[in-house]
Amino acid sequence: MAAHCLEFHDLTRRFGRLSVLTRVSGRVEGGSTLLVRGKNGSGKSTLLRCLAGLLAPDAGTIRAVEEGRELEGALRRRRVGYVAPDLALYEELSVLENLEFFARLRGVAVERARELADRLWLPTDRGAGALSSGMRQRLRWAWALLHRPRLLLLDEPFQNLDAEGEQALRGALTDHLASGGLAVVASPTPLPLDGGVDELDLDR
Amino acid sequence: MSSTWIAEAAAVFAKDWRCELRARHAVTTLGLFAVTSLIVASLALGPVGIAPAERIAFAPVLIWLILLFSSAAGLPRVFVHEEESRTATALRLAATPSAVFVGKAAHSFSVLLAVEAVVAPLALALLQIEATRVGMLAAALVLGGFGLAVASTLLAAIVAQGRGRTTLFAALAFPVLVPLLALAVVLTRAAFGATPPEGVLMQLLLYDASVTVAGLMLFPAVWNP
Repeated sequence: MAAHCLEFHDLTRRFGRLSVLTRVSGRVEGGSTLLVRGKNGSGKSTLLRCLAGLLAPDAGTIRAVEEGRELEGALRRRRVGYVAPDLALYEELSVLENLEFFARLRGVAVERARELADRLWLPTDRGAGALSSGMRQRLRWAWALLHRPRLLLLDEPFQNLDAEGEQALRGALTDHLASGGLAVVASPTPLPLDGGVDELDLDR
Repeated sequence: MSSTWIAEAAAVFAKDWRCELRARHAVTTLGLFAVTSLIVASLALGPVGIAPAERIAFAPVLIWLILLFSSAAGLPRVFVHEEESRTATALRLAATPSAVFVGKAAHSFSVLLAVEAVVAPLALALLQIEATRVGMLAAALVLGGFGLAVASTLLAAIVAQGRGRTTLFAALAFPVLVPLLALAVVLTRAAFGATPPEGVLMQLLLYDASVTVAGLMLFPAVWNP
């Protein structure tokens, strides 16, 4: 059994009468990426929300393994690193205050907050509400990487970024995969990624 | 109860206060409503309005109605704002649900204590009533405020998931809070000189314990899918 892996079988999710996911299955192991492709509305974000434990699927199973240990639903929710357009941090707090708050929640040394802010060139003293969309995306990444997750769930991870920002975040993803972590990346368009990449096309 | 869990609850409490001090939403809403309604009621029912004996009977009802409506106006925000500003997702993924509940309930309680610290002395002054049992008044305000804050926090988490939030909060809050308010009014009246009925303090303690246990048990199911 792989030290880190995420697999899901026959996931189905409806919103009222609208069926968004129908019997979707996939698997990804440590060091590799599962690229989830599909048009707008094909269910990519719903799939990632189910994998993160933010939505309960109507049917199907999800199995996450970290360090050879299976993660139950509530533990999986707390262990994943999640980046998505609908993820927001506190606009009343500065970048550093946001990251330090979540570091305390996650039981991580608060120095990790500054380390990530520096690595992603985030303006630490600026209010989160005053960030550009690109800087907000960098902040989402810093938030997701705080607790050094082994399972990264990335929904359109490079949107709104300038070249410097995309390079920094691609570097973070490469380091994550090189250390044995795994990633599920959702994108509506082709997305070149380093390392071993499997594809799951939700339009088929 | 681990040190990590306590640290999480403390972090949520501190974060909510930091955001509150910058946005000043809850304190402004609760404080403005409480002081305005108290002054309006006192002008009509104060020294020239009704007899001293009637004032002693009426003042506890007035104080607790003001605290109830103030909390209904301001406290649901603790979760509604998290959902509306889409910060709830980050909080769900990073924190233990029970620690979120305790941190938010503690924040609501401290906001309510601050409002009580203004409302109670102001009511005594405007209505010209003397608290003959100050300790009992303090117990009524602390225990009643605690129950009100904890119940409001749980109800706020429930209504934040649905539409028609304000109406839903009111509909859910009143049956849950009626026993608490009845007990708090009786204890407050005793603090103003009425004969204290037996067991009210214990009943108030039991209510607070019950609503805390219910909150800790129900909150994870309300908070997570």
